[in-house]
Amino acid sequence: MARTEKKVDAVIVGLGWTGSVMGMELTDAGLDVVALERGPDRRTVPTFAYPKIADELRYAVRYDLMQRPADSTVTIRHHAGQTALPYRRLGCFLPGAGVGGAGVHWNGLCWRPNAEELRLKSYITERFGTGLMPEDMTVQDFGVTYEELEPYFDRFEKIVGVSGKAGNIGGRIEEGGNPFEAPRSSEYPMPPLEQTYDGLIFEKAARDLGYHPFPKPAANASQAYTNPYGMQLGPCNYCGFCERYGCLNYSKSSPQTCVLDALYQRQNFSYRPNAAVLRVELAADGKTATGVTYADAHGEEVFQPADLVLLCAFQLNNVHLMLVSGIGKPYDPSSGEGTVGRNYAYQMTGETTLFFKDIAFNPFVGAGASGMAIADLGLSRMDFAKNGFIGGGYPSSQQTNGQPIHNLPLPEGTPRWGASWKKAAGDHYGHSATIVLQSSNMPYRDCYLDLDPTYKDRYGRPLMRMTFDWRENELKQAAFFKDKIAEIGRAMGADSLTAAYPSGHFDTRPYQSTHTVGGAVMGADPGTSALNRYLQSWDVHNVFVPGANAFPQNFEYNPTGLVGALTLWAARAIRQDYLPNPGPLG
Amino acid sequence: MKTLLTGICLVLLAAPALGQDDDVSAGRYIAQLGDCAACHTAPGGKPFAGGLAIDSPFGTIYTTNITPDPVHGIGSYSLEDFDKAVRRGIRKDGANLYPAMPYTSYAKVSDDDIKVLYEYFMKGVGPVPVAAPSSDLKFPFNIRFGLEGWDIVNRPAIGFSPPFDDDRLNRGAYIVEGLGHCGACHSPRDLMQAQEGYDASSDTFLTGGQLGVWAVPDLRGPASAPQAWSAEELVDYLTTGRNTYTAATGEMGLVVERSMQHATPEDIDAIVAYLKAIGTPPKQADDALAKTDETTAMLTAAQPDMPLGARLYLDNCGACHLVDGRGAPRVIPSLIGNSAVLAEEPGGLIAVMLNGAQMPSTRKSPGALAMPGFGDRLSDAEVAALASFVRAGWTNDAGAVDQETVRRVRGQL
Amino acid sequence: MSDDRAWPTRRAVLLTGTATLAILALQDTPAAFAQGAQETITGYEPVFFTNDEWIFVLAATDRLIPAEGEGPGALATLVPRFIDRQLAGNYGKALSWYMEGPHTPEASPLFGFQSALTPAETYRTAIAGIDAFCRDTHGKPFADLTPDDQDSVLGDLEADRITLKGVAASTFFEFLLANTREGYFSDPRYGGNSGMAAWVYIGFPGARASFREWVGQHNTPYPLGPVSIGGERA
Repeated sequence: MARTEKKVDAVIVGLGWTGSVMGMELTDAGLDVVALERGPDRRTVPTFAYPKIADELRYAVRYDLMQRPADSTVTIRHHAGQTALPYRRLGCFLPGAGVGGAGVHWNGLCWRPNAEELRLKSYITERFGTGLMPEDMTVQDFGVTYEELEPYFDRFEKIVGVSGKAGNIGGRIEEGGNPFEAPRSSEYPMPPLEQTYDGLIFEKAARDLGYHPFPKPAANASQAYTNPYGMQLGPCNYCGFCERYGCLNYSKSSPQTCVLDALYQRQNFSYRPNAAVLRVELAADGKTATGVTYADAHGEEVFQPADLVLLCAFQLNNVHLMLVSGIGKPYDPSSGEGTVGRNYAYQMTGETTLFFKDIAFNPFVGAGASGMAIADLGLSRMDFAKNGFIGGGYPSSQQTNGQPIHNLPLPEGTPRWGASWKKAAGDHYGHSATIVLQSSNMPYRDCYLDLDPTYKDRYGRPLMRMTFDWRENELKQAAFFKDKIAEIGRAMGADSLTAAYPSGHFDTRPYQSTHTVGGAVMGADPGTSALNRYLQSWDVHNVFVPGANAFPQNFEYNPTGLVGALTLWAARAIRQDYLPNPGPLG
Repeated sequence: MKTLLTGICLVLLAAPALGQDDDVSAGRYIAQLGDCAACHTAPGGKPFAGGLAIDSPFGTIYTTNITPDPVHGIGSYSLEDFDKAVRRGIRKDGANLYPAMPYTSYAKVSDDDIKVLYEYFMKGVGPVPVAAPSSDLKFPFNIRFGLEGWDIVNRPAIGFSPPFDDDRLNRGAYIVEGLGHCGACHSPRDLMQAQEGYDASSDTFLTGGQLGVWAVPDLRGPASAPQAWSAEELVDYLTTGRNTYTAATGEMGLVVERSMQHATPEDIDAIVAYLKAIGTPPKQADDALAKTDETTAMLTAAQPDMPLGARLYLDNCGACHLVDGRGAPRVIPSLIGNSAVLAEEPGGLIAVMLNGAQMPSTRKSPGALAMPGFGDRLSDAEVAALASFVRAGWTNDAGAVDQETVRRVRGQL
Repeated sequence: MSDDRAWPTRRAVLLTGTATLAILALQDTPAAFAQGAQETITGYEPVFFTNDEWIFVLAATDRLIPAEGEGPGALATLVPRFIDRQLAGNYGKALSWYMEGPHTPEASPLFGFQSALTPAETYRTAIAGIDAFCRDTHGKPFADLTPDDQDSVLGDLEADRITLKGVAASTFFEFLLANTREGYFSDPRYGGNSGMAAWVYIGFPGARASFREWVGQHNTPYPLGPVSIGGERA
């Protein structure tokens, strides 16, 4: 060990959404807090400044704001009979790195789950009996209810600044919102974003088919906004450079726009970028953590002692840190023992492109999270027995990132190169619209995370190994939604459509979603969860792990809203219950 | 694990923990109103240790170390020595201070305030045993003897005579004319670089000045901010550096960040009331001659044959300031009626276009929202075309900017 | 066979050098000061590719995005210059990728890139192999084949119907195709998309990134040409 830093009350690993919100909460409580971020410092100006951020090659294709596999990656296999291979280039998921984390380069979709989704095992059992779930499907309840979390959803949405239309306020169904959503205590902080033309066509077609379309809840500000920290957002200008990019005009919610300048004002907060946490150090009896060891910008190892450790890194990295630090028992699928690494899940996504030779869309106009959605086919609305699969999803219109290197859809059968390709590019760019699917992913006994036996990272630590594949349940679900979406596309009047939905094994190459979840799940039962309902490690009581790692399965909506609510929920438990009396919480 | 507080902990005040005296606290507040740190704390330097370089027409002046270090600071100063320096501009050894030190404004500070200010500097500030660099003025200005003469001509009387019957207005006058030394920037200066007028009885006091390339706005005419804005907007601007219309950047941003955001609500109200009282209200003019806005429609249509200035606006500015030029309240300044945009001397506008701007971070509004600079992207001719466009676009009606002016300002930055 | 290609044949380059090539002044000054500068690929000196490799890349990209028809081709937009610079830089060296062994290049494509070769090494290895294959089967290097034969070879590479030594043909082809597309559509600062001609062709406004007033303009093609990050206008 090269050196030891001065002890702090709390060390936060990772300065993204959960790290920055947790930082505000713990400094409010009077703690001395240091945050360690493995990536570089990032600020709106200069890092996301206009016009340099409007660079498709650098950010959307070369992934400048993302984690570099050379620094940190995973190995992937479909099943235990295979040798897992490194995820050498970014493809299907794009974890972030740097101050702000993935909160910088997300699209800004900020949802809440339905109440049933937080107690999904109970719900399925109550409605459909115990026999419906295949024996290797390991659905679990979260251990916290929607009603308990509602005030935290509300507060997180206000911190984030979400533009939307409520569909259910205190049980009263509201015109223009999602009539199927769980009840909210208040309207959204800002009115919904204006829709691009494709969204209006989708809305009409969906309504004609009997669905109930509503604007997606967007962490892209529809107008100037001030959040509870006094931080400010400007109105989104629909620049189209959203997911994979930082926002150039303070209108996409991120730790930078919503939290950090307020956090940096606090005397009892400091942060160090280019500080890659390598492991959490444990006391000799393994029951508490003594701090963390990190590699500084020069590659030297530094020990940061702390009384409280918050793992606020991305889901994959949180689980990895627990595994390499010996926090909790690693999961073994054959014995079923151990909890760290179990219940890994992903997101079943798909995309249908509609071609309209007679309509001019301007595909480069769009906010990351604008678009109309339908929740009629959500988890809480589906008859699993009738459908033949357990799951639900939300189709929605999407017009964003209409930049030509990575987003120039062409009709079925178009050659990939040559004169015909060039002609098709000129003919079809600006004459297509997209319906995207995001749907749930159930957990399975044999979909899990552990440590790879062969490959190591640049610090000499074993890479984490991901064993994952689509199951029949999810593939049936994808086929179901592909058909439903095609129906909407035809109702929209498309000349033709192309569809891209997983239909076989998990393909690591095309981008699908960065919503990797699970691996260190929360729950009421220490036999099947790594964290209790306050996101405290069952095994090491001064380690809390807020993140999507806590999800025992993935529901159909984007995870950030729930991740934020869980973070605030955990923070309350830390402040009111843990700090006065450190130890395992109930 | 130490016993921890729940609820909000007031750790936000960035004050050194030396000296718990009431006088020291009171003195800290006076130092904030007087913004001593503006000059006496160099960027990245220790508090009040001096060393900030101030460019003047006479050469470079370096601010002094006013920490209580006995050798390199003012640790050996008695209260009388301190008072003479602050209100009279005379150093302990009898030499005159360069009037970059606004002692001509501080002349109005009360005896009580000088006393607690002294307590603060002696007991509330950490001594820094490092000498600040010596000032580097060109001959003959490096001979302080000449300042005596300047001083005789320009120094106002010591002390403050309340000019109003109203306590709040008098408090506002006391701060603005005295500790706030607003006239140091916001008043014109004569050839001797003396401030023209020290209180509202002078017609030129607070009618605008020049700071490097920046035109410093008039605070008294009918189109000035104190007259055009509501009291709420003025309070917001002073305490957070931003309001519905615009934002403070550069030197004024620092004034907000280091000084005004710390003023009590009562003192801010007094400042605002005073500024409104000493100005000329706008007439209720009819709008028959007001310029109509054709600019927004032209920019919205985005036709390729638009003039160069408009094209440059869409390529550089519209992403934030939007096609109506109004930006967004408290987030992105409006370009309409904006004093920096419309100033007769366009140096400030050019400086912002080339180098960008940034709001201060304040307790109430922590976001230090920033605008990037476009100096690498725009030629002098393009800056001139674009500046001319925004100055005459929408309902703005100010004169064009030429390429030579841009070239000159760029060279001065 | 028509010989109206924009670049000199291999022999011409060897015999005449750069003196007779078209004038090219590659402007490194900010674009704002160089509005409307004309460039041609024949004036560019590659920094990564050897002469033989360069001739191949010119010919191959010319087939992937040909000049014929509406819209510019890869050569008019200087795509090969983009590729040359990319391979000379961090992308070519795979600096961001996980390149530790063991490598299993024959693994299922579902697991993505598993080669031990960086993009730069891939191009180097593959181009030599392709020219050797073309000499073996057609008696000439790739650049001297007819356009139809060139298209056949490219299609065979794409489908792995040609076996190359040391690298999978399709691995190389996918890099080439992706890099060609990137060079065509990326910001001109990277060396391709010269004059933003590809953006003009499809109607993409480049780095303008400002459309709040366009959300409500339905079924109305956006009329204004693009701007680059450097400020060039078209």
